[in-house]
Amino acid sequence: MREAMKKINLSYIISLALSIFVALIIGALIMLINGKSPFIGYSALFSGAFGSKYNLATTFAKTVPLVLTGLGTAISFRSGIFNIGGEGQLYLGAFAAAYIGITFTSLPFFIGIPLAIIFGALVGGLYAFLPGILKVKYKIDEVITTIMLNTVAVLFTSFLVNYPFATTQGKMNGTEIIAQSYHLRRLVKLSTLNTSIFFMSFIAIVIYYLMEKTSIGYDFKMVGQNRMFARYGGINDKKQMLIAMVISGALCGMAGVFEVLGVHYRFLQSISPGYAWDGMLASLMAKNNPVGVVLMAIFLGALKTGSVSMENATSIPSELVMVIQAIIVLFIAGEAGFKDKFVLLNIKRKSKKAGETNA
Amino acid sequence: MAEKLIELKNISKQFPGVLANSNVNLTINKGEIHAIIGENGAGKTTLMNILYGLYEPTQGEIFIDGKKAVIKSPLDAIKQGIGMVHQHFMLLPSLSVAENVVLGSEPKKKKFFMDYDKAIEITKNLAQKYGFKVDPREKIEALSVGVQQRVEILKVLYRGADILILDEPTAVLTPQETDELFNVIRKLVSDMNKTVIIITHKLQEVLAISDRVSVMRQGKLIGTLPTQQADAKILTEMMVGKEVLFHDLHREKVSGEKVLEVKDIKAKDNRGLTVLNGVSFSLRAGEILGVAGVEGNGQSELVEVLTGLRNLEDGDYFINGKKITDVNPSNMRNLGISHVPEDRLTMGLSKEASLWENLLMGLQHKKPFVVKKIHLNKKKIFERTDNLIKEYDIRAIDRYMKVKKLSGGNMQKVVIAREFSFDSPILIIAQPTRGVDVGATEFIHNQIMRKRNEGAAILLVSAELDEIMRLSDRIITIYEGSITGEFKNKEVTKQTLGLYMTGKQNKLKGSEDN
Repeated sequence: MREAMKKINLSYIISLALSIFVALIIGALIMLINGKSPFIGYSALFSGAFGSKYNLATTFAKTVPLVLTGLGTAISFRSGIFNIGGEGQLYLGAFAAAYIGITFTSLPFFIGIPLAIIFGALVGGLYAFLPGILKVKYKIDEVITTIMLNTVAVLFTSFLVNYPFATTQGKMNGTEIIAQSYHLRRLVKLSTLNTSIFFMSFIAIVIYYLMEKTSIGYDFKMVGQNRMFARYGGINDKKQMLIAMVISGALCGMAGVFEVLGVHYRFLQSISPGYAWDGMLASLMAKNNPVGVVLMAIFLGALKTGSVSMENATSIPSELVMVIQAIIVLFIAGEAGFKDKFVLLNIKRKSKKAGETNA
Repeated sequence: MAEKLIELKNISKQFPGVLANSNVNLTINKGEIHAIIGENGAGKTTLMNILYGLYEPTQGEIFIDGKKAVIKSPLDAIKQGIGMVHQHFMLLPSLSVAENVVLGSEPKKKKFFMDYDKAIEITKNLAQKYGFKVDPREKIEALSVGVQQRVEILKVLYRGADILILDEPTAVLTPQETDELFNVIRKLVSDMNKTVIIITHKLQEVLAISDRVSVMRQGKLIGTLPTQQADAKILTEMMVGKEVLFHDLHREKVSGEKVLEVKDIKAKDNRGLTVLNGVSFSLRAGEILGVAGVEGNGQSELVEVLTGLRNLEDGDYFINGKKITDVNPSNMRNLGISHVPEDRLTMGLSKEASLWENLLMGLQHKKPFVVKKIHLNKKKIFERTDNLIKEYDIRAIDRYMKVKKLSGGNMQKVVIAREFSFDSPILIIAQPTRGVDVGATEFIHNQIMRKRNEGAAILLVSAELDEIMRLSDRIITIYEGSITGEFKNKEVTKQTLGLYMTGKQNKLKGSEDN
């Protein structure tokens, strides 16, 4: 336990908690200015997220794609290659799963579901491989290519579901419903929480193990921290970056798969309200630490779920949560700067004290 | 009684976590050459940066000509007649000498446009006045380091400096260039009434040039004394606080097999220019082969080629008599090469990673540190880490400490500990003690010699001739990507090496014939 404590970056956790706290305070001020009681607002938010079995289930349902895309981001960022293309990979992964589900309709669930997951992961991984190989072979900035490929994926799937794969059941910008055997079981009445949370937990544990306990995770980390050092130590840095990128894409693809198999039962033109971006935020908040990513994903999932109840209960717009999220991002971006100021202040105070005792 | 020019009174400077200067009192007399020496991190440069206005002191006062001076920026310092030449030159390589000299206060025509002709004239006159040989029209990038340094000095003189601070001016110079620089400094002081403060950690230089010397240690000024009363032993004692003498290292007679050989190898630098132009040599077990050369003559690239980090364009590379076809870092490591790189921060370490992670590099896929193919065996890893920390005397809080929080000497010990712990038959070591204090230097030298006596084949690249001469059995000199000479150590003088390092060996041959 003491060993574990030493590894935890306590000062960062404090500054993250402070950032969140200040963001919530600013949120409270906004409510006050608008003549709403922040106390009522936040308690509605909290009970909306955790207050009942249904609410809790909804929060965790939201957590599934956030954890997967968050871990996807974390593993790529830690390896020094920046996959900002999670949203596109999610869309393609989701469509791939739906394709399996509407094509191989007679497969039993124990073959069909794994097949859909693997195929979705594969498609997501391949879609990340493309910018990955451009990066390591031709030094083309992966940040730019992945962002652009997001648009390509979203528009391409949107073409697919509106033309070749459009449902015949009315106009709803989606595919046909996938075969019954592919449906993941719902766990709580009315909520969309489904067995994908178990898949997700398993995947999260595997990724945690991979990142923190294995030589592969060590290689990823060293490449990300200092590529020259990794190369010098005999690590094939380009290969590691590619592998990390593909794993990252596969995770984001799987996030899409579970949206199809567990939530919508079909591919929809706008299947993700930006899960990959929120997942990235979770990863940034946790500094790419896999355990932290899960915790932050739950936190963000709770904010999202709670904000809807808050709007219903208090007529405080749910967009307020977006404001709070944005402020957290700002604080995290400024974290280093804040910390320096903080340390300096401390030293000044100390040296002043020392000066006084000298005199 | 000499006239006091600058007085620093009770200067202290606090950086986050470090007290860089602590109650320093220093007097500089008019018209003297004042050396400030101390180990790396002793606070010399910080003190001078305060005088030059780059840092504001946490406390203390500066008096110039007896008047209290407020120096808040280099501009203030320049107004007071203080100029500084930094260790790393601050020149624009693509501009001409004249443009660099006048940069910041250019002669203008029509109040707006720079007057190039005037700039060239100014530079020419200035160079003439001080007896420098520089072509004002030449671009900086075409000049040798020694001449670039003179441009830096000209720049300072152009701004009207009477007090020149030179920070480690000889770090990048050959022995010949150093001599030339010293002549320039002497002339500035004797003919032009300038005052020179020179920061260095090389004792011989202090003794050769200065009038007075101040010794710093751990942010404190230990003492100032006239150079005539000082010698290397006294100064070293003052610098390190204990007697550390560079005695001869125990050298066992080892005669080993030829383990590494290169024939006519060629390589290109990052810009695609040929930097190794057919280099051949061989290396035996149980010997240290020193590579002496001024930095930038291909020795960095040589090390990179040998360790697989740079493409071998042409030529043959043999290890244990076998020709190596696939030269890459992982392959070279498997063939038994360990590498202490010249720059520990860009290549030798990951600053953000912990001590144990840094010490693990290279073993993360090897038993017993990894089990079941990928599972890191932390118990074994930590055991080894803790042993190395002890054995190599790495001063760290624990194995989780981030390497960036270590001092330079301890960082270097981490690299040495890791690479030496592999017990590789071949060690390729570049600049092993760069920026490392005297105590750690002694320790590292001892470790290198121990490895040699145990039978390792060692290639030592260093910019410090003293280091090469202390450790090597054989020495080769490299100049512009070619080997210019090979010598048995003890049979060659520093001056001779210096000539070979600068491609001027022909001069020597003439004089030897006499």
